Amino acid sequence: MSSEEMSLEQNKHQLKEWQESIAAARQENSPQTVMEMIPYAAFIGAQARIENDQLLYWLDKKPSNIGNPSLPAIHGGVIGGFLELAAAIEIIYTLDIAAVPKVVDFSLDYLRAGRYKTIYAKCQVLRQGKKLINVTASAWQDDENTPIATARCHFLI
Amino acid sequence: MTFDMTMALFRPALKYAMEKNGHGKTLGLKMTEINRGEINLVFPYKEEVVGNPLTGVVHGGVIVSLLDTACGSAAMTVLNTPAVTPTIDLRLDYMHPAEPHKPIYVEAKVYRQTANVIFCRGLAWQDDKENPIAHCVANFMKVDSKSINFSAIAITQLRRLMPWGKTTDSDKETGK
Repeated sequence: MSSEEMSLEQNKHQLKEWQESIAAARQENSPQTVMEMIPYAAFIGAQARIENDQLLYWLDKKPSNIGNPSLPAIHGGVIGGFLELAAAIEIIYTLDIAAVPKVVDFSLDYLRAGRYKTIYAKCQVLRQGKKLINVTASAWQDDENTPIATARCHFLI
Repeated sequence: MTFDMTMALFRPALKYAMEKNGHGKTLGLKMTEINRGEINLVFPYKEEVVGNPLTGVVHGGVIVSLLDTACGSAAMTVLNTPAVTPTIDLRLDYMHPAEPHKPIYVEAKVYRQTANVIFCRGLAWQDDKENPIAHCVANFMKVDSKSINFSAIAITQLRRLMPWGKTTDSDKETGK
């Protein structure tokens, strides 16, 4: 077996393991298990749970997520990264697709400063095509109706 | 180029604020170039920020943070009184995934500013700048600097670390 065939074989094996872990997470109704499979989630401290049949994501306050130390405010990039991560988890957990979705573009509107407290987020898959998925995500702190940021994301599958 | 006093003072404050605080410190990014309306930074690869555990590719969120930091900093440098410039929005196009175990280079430029808005472009690449991993446009608000004490805090923190006279000398050497 050539090294190329071997790495291909290894990829197949890894993908199979990945799919099995996701299926197990769905069985246990535990989106947090999927979250924990992605190292970046632990890096920013993102978590997920099911609430009213919908996925709810949250990000507890953490010194390493501060952007502007004088306010203090959460780093805009962290809010963006959190929403992009939430959108990816939404796809992985709720849609039946084989691989990890690849992000194509990401658009983020900052509506209010992210104060140094927990940020919540919800996502909605607006369209699932054969190749492309469109997801929107919204983040808030005190009240779901006064979002601090909204995002729109395209993923290739 | 003439010596730019505001930039000479602002450069170390910005570098300190971005590299030694909060998320910038956690990411471990380094600002390699700080000029009026232009920022360059570099991010070393980190296992902790992987987004796809099957391939080891860093999460897109990291690229968002890097470009947001670079564009936001570039926006700040065009002001005469450095102040925080809140982000209005940011749009990112991912051209291809970042290769694992390689640093990511980021460049941000202000290409236009009006009375209230600063328009920025950013680029992230690894080996070849002509073949970038991501491109972004981001817009920022100009706000009343008096309401924000960002530069005062950054300078105070900087003073605590090193003698002020020494800092100014080294800045004069690098000041353009």
